[in-house]
Amino acid sequence: MMRTEWHDHDWQLIHTAPQSPSLHMALDDVLTHEVGAGRRKPTVRIWEWASPAVVIGRFQSLRNEVDAEAAQRHGIEVVRRISGGGAMFIEPGNTITYSIYAPLSLIKDMSFQQAYAFMDAWVIEALGELGIKAWYQPLNDITSEGGKIAGAAQAHRGGAVLHHVTMAYDIDAAKMLDVLRIGREKLSDKGTTSAAKRVDPLRSQTGLPREMVIERMIATFRRLHGLTDDTLRADELTQAETLAQTRFGNATWLADVP
Amino acid sequence: MHGEYKMPGGKLVVVDLDVRDGRLARVQLSGDFFLEPDSALRTIDAALEGQPADMDEAGLARSIRNALAPDVMMYGISPEAIAVAVRRALQGEHLA
Repeated sequence: MMRTEWHDHDWQLIHTAPQSPSLHMALDDVLTHEVGAGRRKPTVRIWEWASPAVVIGRFQSLRNEVDAEAAQRHGIEVVRRISGGGAMFIEPGNTITYSIYAPLSLIKDMSFQQAYAFMDAWVIEALGELGIKAWYQPLNDITSEGGKIAGAAQAHRGGAVLHHVTMAYDIDAAKMLDVLRIGREKLSDKGTTSAAKRVDPLRSQTGLPREMVIERMIATFRRLHGLTDDTLRADELTQAETLAQTRFGNATWLADVP
Repeated sequence: MHGEYKMPGGKLVVVDLDVRDGRLARVQLSGDFFLEPDSALRTIDAALEGQPADMDEAGLARSIRNALAPDVMMYGISPEAIAVAVRRALQGEHLA
């Protein structure tokens, strides 16, 4: 396998209407496989959320991370993703989430640390253009003078790497703390204080609506690496809908690490 | 019993376990680390299951390392960090 560069690939963009949390989990699985199998060109997918969710990492303990009663009270669905890393608290409009599905050749011979920073170099540049001085903080965070902005996670599957990132746009910190069993130490790690009511590094530092931030990020990726507008194929969506039912919306998968 | 260890420069490593007849039982590793392939999680749990509860950290780390295939990749976690979390879980019981 030869090392490839960004411009060796014909990047595709998928940005569809809001979808359910379990369908998002399934789409990451399906699209990673499709790119790995060579049936889909390398792709960037911007997520839009139809409903609130807590997304826990592949190796996180469900009961240690999530207050199930609080999640239910707030009407929040809890799902487990295929990549490692920490829990995310999602309400439609409070975060910006994207996935990059690339052949493993793009990060060939890189350490994990190099691969994370490499996959998000375009975002650091996009944030700079939005007036935010941001940098990569190993192992898997994007941070700024105003605190942590985003967390990334990667998973390798059948010849492809999934790299996905959730960026805090405007998060209700009180609700997040109600649902996530997040330690005080971890909270300080996220650049917030116990008094903070909102975690809103992107909103407060850009002053722009979320849609505009996404638009500017897409424009930066397009300029740096090239990007063609694409849609999900019918068979990809069917596969993902099936998996969302049988696996990702399923209590067995959710409690895989109870 | 529950033990946590934030690996320096790494991620949070959590171990939940019981002790039965002086041996580790129902061992569950969890945390916000990264493992490839993801099946390595079960391999690590199985490697710790049944180990003597008085085994030292070096011994625990060696048991984990020996059980893992050479192609397993760890990021933000190590056999040594898992051993620390195991010891902390065991100590938690003594303090309780």
